[in-house]
Amino acid sequence: MAKPAVILVGADKGGVGKTTVSRALLDYFIAHNIATRAFDTESPKGTLKRFHPEVTEVVDMHSTADQMKIFDTLSSNNAQLTVIDVRAGLLSTTLRALREIGFLDAAKKSQLAFTVFHILGPSIASLGEIDETAGFMDDAHYILVKNFINNTTFFEWDPATYNSYFNKIKDAHDITIPKLNEMACEQVEVASVPYASFVANKTGEGQPANYSFVLRGYVRHWLGNVWAEFDRVKLIDMVAPELQRKGAARQA
Amino acid sequence: MQRRTPVFIVTSSRPRVGKTLIARALTEYFCAQSRPVAAFDVNPDEFKLIDHLPADTAAASINDTRGEMALFDQLVLEDEVPKVVDLGHQTFDHFFAVVREIDFASEVRRRAVAPMVLFVADPDERARQGYAMLKDRFPDLPLVSVFNENVPQIMRCRAEFPPTRLGGEPIGIPALTPVVRSVVDRRNFSFVAYVEKTNDTTSELYEWLRRVFISFRELEVRLLLGEITPQLRHSA
Repeated sequence: MAKPAVILVGADKGGVGKTTVSRALLDYFIAHNIATRAFDTESPKGTLKRFHPEVTEVVDMHSTADQMKIFDTLSSNNAQLTVIDVRAGLLSTTLRALREIGFLDAAKKSQLAFTVFHILGPSIASLGEIDETAGFMDDAHYILVKNFINNTTFFEWDPATYNSYFNKIKDAHDITIPKLNEMACEQVEVASVPYASFVANKTGEGQPANYSFVLRGYVRHWLGNVWAEFDRVKLIDMVAPELQRKGAARQA
Repeated sequence: MQRRTPVFIVTSSRPRVGKTLIARALTEYFCAQSRPVAAFDVNPDEFKLIDHLPADTAAASINDTRGEMALFDQLVLEDEVPKVVDLGHQTFDHFFAVVREIDFASEVRRRAVAPMVLFVADPDERARQGYAMLKDRFPDLPLVSVFNENVPQIMRCRAEFPPTRLGGEPIGIPALTPVVRSVVDRRNFSFVAYVEKTNDTTSELYEWLRRVFISFRELEVRLLLGEITPQLRHSA
């Protein structure tokens, strides 16, 4: 059986686009036929669940019962991959809890694949977050995300300063989420469907919809660029290497 | 069988080459056949096509996303109503940047819509660059160069606007004498009304219109051939 994989999407600051990245990730893995489930920790009502209700469950990360629901079922669940959209401000806390329950040790022993998407905010404080997170990342894939979707015009940090933080983590990658046309972004929110469904002009129930072709075009272009970033860091290879091998074998 | 909806984009990256005259004639070509037609005037500063054909033309602005939606969502409709876009040189770059970003070519391929870009040539280097850009970046869009004989020294630059694989050979628009042009440029002038009223089929304007309409018929045939060629290949 394939090794379970967990992706944690988080930031220590709110409003930096964690759920956007989680949504793009779910679309990406579903498009690659990787059985995926998601947990939304924006308890009691989750934003991620609104867009991907069939695969998402809302949980409270402070609750032991909910922690069990996520981590005790990693091997037994049909879904090989678990995406956890961590509530703002809880990234460091969650990583600490994962260490305490022995999850990070399991990653160290290669019993599971663990990847963290750390969404950076615009302020210099985000660099401090990298520093804080670095201590947990010895046996995880660490991906720093610069998210420009909400018209962020910053990240004007001194490259040397940024690199000094970035280089603290072995094998870290960084990816960029480009800006999405504002009206397109808004319409996907209103439609409450996955990005891929919006592009395919489908409702949440899979019925034909009537979204603007222009807005669908903008979303398709944007999603293509985001997925290209995931491809660039070889995300499938990180979370499901056996699928990558199967694909290579088919091509051979 | 549903016929593909033709979409003609009349444009150039240079001003004063006769785009609006050609767009007007093309719109009236459909009117002359009693076919419904929808024309769009995408000139940011002045609306000329809409001045001449207000009943069939909508003013379009692509300065913001709402304007882009209002225009492009119409252009991908499979309603069998021919569309004519009069695209000014000021909006040329932005229009095709949007076409590229929203992947217009793929969408129309999925639908029963047949676009064709009519690029009005000009000896200026910027026109050559504009044509080369369309040819290189949009190989899936049929591109036809148009030689308007009213543009000075136009026939010297034919080699700069070569035929394309999907668009085919260039078409020519005969020159009009200044007197006839001044009549045609009057706001209330209609080609169709003129043809209905005149008894003189040897007049300069009648002959001009006959030749221009034959060229437009030729363009329609090219679109039709583009539609059936894959089927012919498939059945061969």
